[in-house]
Amino acid sequence: MIAMQLVTPLFYIFVAGFAYSAVIPTMNVGGRNVNYVLFLAPGIIVMQIMFAATFAGAMLWIDKRLAMFAQILVGPFSRWQYILSKVVSIMLQGLLNAFLVFVIASPLLVGLNVTPLGLAYITGALVLGSLFFGSLTLAISVFVKSNESFNAILNVMFTPLMFLSSVYYPLENAPLAIQAVSLVNPLTYSADMLRAGLLEVYVPLLPVEIMVLVVESFVVFVAATLAFRRVKT
Amino acid sequence: MTEYCVETTELTKDYGKVVAVDHVSFKVLRGEVFGFLGPNGAGKTTTIKMLTTLLKPTDGKASVFGFDVGSEGAKIRPRIGVVQQEMSYEYSLGVEENLDMYGFLWNVPKKERRERIELLLGKFGLKDVRKTNPQELSMGQRRRLQVAREFMHDCELMFLDEPTTGLDPQARRITLDFVREKVEGGMTVFFTTHIMEEAEYICDRIAVIDHGKILALDTIGNLKRKFGGVSVIHLRVTDGKDGLNQKLEKLRNVERIVYPKQEDEPLKVYTKDADTVLSQIIDMASSSGLHVEELRIKEPSLDDVFIQMVNQKGDGQK
Repeated sequence: MIAMQLVTPLFYIFVAGFAYSAVIPTMNVGGRNVNYVLFLAPGIIVMQIMFAATFAGAMLWIDKRLAMFAQILVGPFSRWQYILSKVVSIMLQGLLNAFLVFVIASPLLVGLNVTPLGLAYITGALVLGSLFFGSLTLAISVFVKSNESFNAILNVMFTPLMFLSSVYYPLENAPLAIQAVSLVNPLTYSADMLRAGLLEVYVPLLPVEIMVLVVESFVVFVAATLAFRRVKT
Repeated sequence: MTEYCVETTELTKDYGKVVAVDHVSFKVLRGEVFGFLGPNGAGKTTTIKMLTTLLKPTDGKASVFGFDVGSEGAKIRPRIGVVQQEMSYEYSLGVEENLDMYGFLWNVPKKERRERIELLLGKFGLKDVRKTNPQELSMGQRRRLQVAREFMHDCELMFLDEPTTGLDPQARRITLDFVREKVEGGMTVFFTTHIMEEAEYICDRIAVIDHGKILALDTIGNLKRKFGGVSVIHLRVTDGKDGLNQKLEKLRNVERIVYPKQEDEPLKVYTKDADTVLSQIIDMASSSGLHVEELRIKEPSLDDVFIQMVNQKGDGQK
């Protein structure tokens, strides 16, 4: 299962990354020249976190179908604890995936110096990304009537989230309209945070992005908790 | 400490025009097995869902251990156990792991979990499938797992919502005996079923519910006395069945006749004057050349009491 989830990111990094590197050898991000493969790798890792988050919503469907949702709620637990358990679960899965991508991509990362502050950025990017996207997919799963609709909505939603962000390219050189939309996309914030931690490249708006991501993640988590009051048992 | 585990006053749940539970009031004594008996769709599960804090009542009051089910659920849930009517299990874990995970969620220490797992696997006949995923089990095995799982933790009050559905008679008896054993240890049980023999076997008191309303609440003995007074004559004939129904309809002092749905069932004649009806049937048999295979008066079972109660209510509504 984990091996299958690693196929896509490894293709992105080792196939697409190296192929594009031939065209775009280096690029300027936050005033520093960065190799394209190194630029792409953190973006792909946060995208993994976003994809892993879809499991949180799917878990609710499975728990409801197998009546485990009601069974948990008649135990000494509350709905917010149930949501948190799902978010933590996909967070751990996302962190494991990210760690494995790091390990496999380690030959590319030789020579990088990750400071304690960098480690805080990396952890923050992965934890907040999981909290945001996990809560978001859980909230969506409450409002849709079937698993099929849930998957369809996520497919439609994820494509603009991926391309209107700093996952594949630096926003500094992108057209203004794309920059504007991308700057309200939490995936951009996570990718920029992860790059700050790994590559020590800092986009000018990074402090604001981090604050917005913290606020957004908790707002979406609270919204998901409130939405869960609607779930019938 | 109050002597009641559960108290409801005019408890009601409606879904718009559909009233699932209609102003029911009852009390469950500590240490008893309280049966909630009724046909499918009577309101049993909705009542349990309100008492276990899953559903909020539309009207009326309900408390468990003195705590309001609508606003003090967090004080109730750690003290109860619930076996839902719907089959539930964790799909990615084996039988043993399902039990272990559930005990872990309830903060049962590891050593105690190991001991309980062994006891429950043995008690519920699941030792041979301890490593099997629940999705590969038979319906009966899955039900046994579900019931066993709830005994991974201690509780003061256990809600069992038709827990024996899908079980064979032997597993059913083992389950009921295990529950009884726990009750002797001090546990209170709220037990719903539509199987009369089960209620008769395990329950101390019974509330009969139909269309969301409680029709009667008492011990089984008292219910039989109250709604009894009616005897049941079992009649089975082999030859001369032609026109039998018309002849039976002409009998005097008959409350109700229930015709068999299956070939091996007897025809049942409900009457308050068994002697007179019996002699009429004997006269009818000899004059019509009926070959009677079985003719006997039976004490009313809980089943008979229940049918009588539901019918009386139906007549009253007409």
